[in-house]
Amino acid sequence: MAATTNNNSRWPLALLAVLLIYALATGMLVLSLPVKDGGRDWFAPLVPGGWMAWSFPTAMFFLSIFTLLALMAVWEYARPGGHPRVGILRFETTRGDRLFISLLGSAFINLAWLGLVGPNLWWALALCVVYAIGVFRYV
Amino acid sequence: MERTWNNKAWFMVLPVLLLVAFSAVIPLMTVVNYSVQDTFGNNQFFWAGTDWFVEILHSDRFWEALGRNLLFSAIILSIEIPLGILIALNMPKKGLGVPVCLVLMALPLLIPWNVVGTIWQVFGRVDIGLLGFTLKALGFDYNYVNDVFDAWMTLIVMDVWHWTSLVVLLCYAGLVSIPEAYYQAAKIDGASRWAVFRYIQLPKMKRVLLIAFLLRFMDSFMIYTEPFVVTGGGPGNSTTFLSIDLVKMAIGQFDLGPAAAMSIIYFLIILLLSWIFYTVMTSSDEQA
Repeated sequence: MAATTNNNSRWPLALLAVLLIYALATGMLVLSLPVKDGGRDWFAPLVPGGWMAWSFPTAMFFLSIFTLLALMAVWEYARPGGHPRVGILRFETTRGDRLFISLLGSAFINLAWLGLVGPNLWWALALCVVYAIGVFRYV
Repeated sequence: MERTWNNKAWFMVLPVLLLVAFSAVIPLMTVVNYSVQDTFGNNQFFWAGTDWFVEILHSDRFWEALGRNLLFSAIILSIEIPLGILIALNMPKKGLGVPVCLVLMALPLLIPWNVVGTIWQVFGRVDIGLLGFTLKALGFDYNYVNDVFDAWMTLIVMDVWHWTSLVVLLCYAGLVSIPEAYYQAAKIDGASRWAVFRYIQLPKMKRVLLIAFLLRFMDSFMIYTEPFVVTGGGPGNSTTFLSIDLVKMAIGQFDLGPAAAMSIIYFLIILLLSWIFYTVMTSSDEQA
């Protein structure tokens, strides 16, 4: 049978692989950007005429989300079990739940910022990071 | 004991991952891409940033449609869930009545949404429809084409007729799974009908009620076909729900950017509310 015992001491290798893939994919995306007036056009379509209408910012957004999921998988590989606990919301959450709460809350923080403050989202992003740290620490 | 792991088992979920990718993830990614760009057709896109989101979040049209959606879902849930429980409690548990009731209950669920809309559109007409004509003959000034209240009443009654059966069937499945010993024990204790419902039947139905509640919420919040066929969003915009508004924007006006931004906000609201309902109901289930 192909069953093996869980060897979670190799998690740094998995982490390195994920970060390497993220860096390589980012590099490839940057290189695929069209050049305009001597500089890279960060907001131009990545595939002109492509039906999915990919752009660099949206590609980076999804790449970061998939990397986050991969990092969660590495965390689970290193520390199996999902670390369930009851936090300030008074119901049990695992690491996956906490990531979901962080991402969903971040989406609403950004929407609230757009609706109430303005279109510049860098401060909203900083707020999301603080919120996510809070969720992972206390929820 | 040391746990054993077989990572090859992960390949078993690959087909479903591919299916979800093609049916949900790729369309969602495309919508996100559209939401930050503008297009005049021919697959030519221009960067617009967060402009469409700002536009949607500041539009009265969006907030009014969202309000109508929330009101509709609240009314639907407050009628269909108690009514479904009541009907399930009174359905026969054995004998010929069981298959007869089950088939009768399943019938509305078998009718396609657009056909349901057409049925009720004709049914409610004051000139040839049985409902409209009867109400007119009884002296009611009923006209779902011109009157906002009548249009809402027609949509609510139509949805209750169409979907209460789902709640009934789910509750009935929960009820028949309760062992007879529970009822015998309650009888020995001299429990009242209410006590039996409160302490035996309701807790045993909790899981199926959660499913019914979530299904009915998501479905009523995303309702499109029936109101589109019956009222077309009118009179005025009084029954224009988010989905109808979205289709008008995306297909009618070909405003793909704002429509995509609106879709994402709509999706996030459904995700948030479903997660809250699910979490509240499952955590109270665990505490019980």
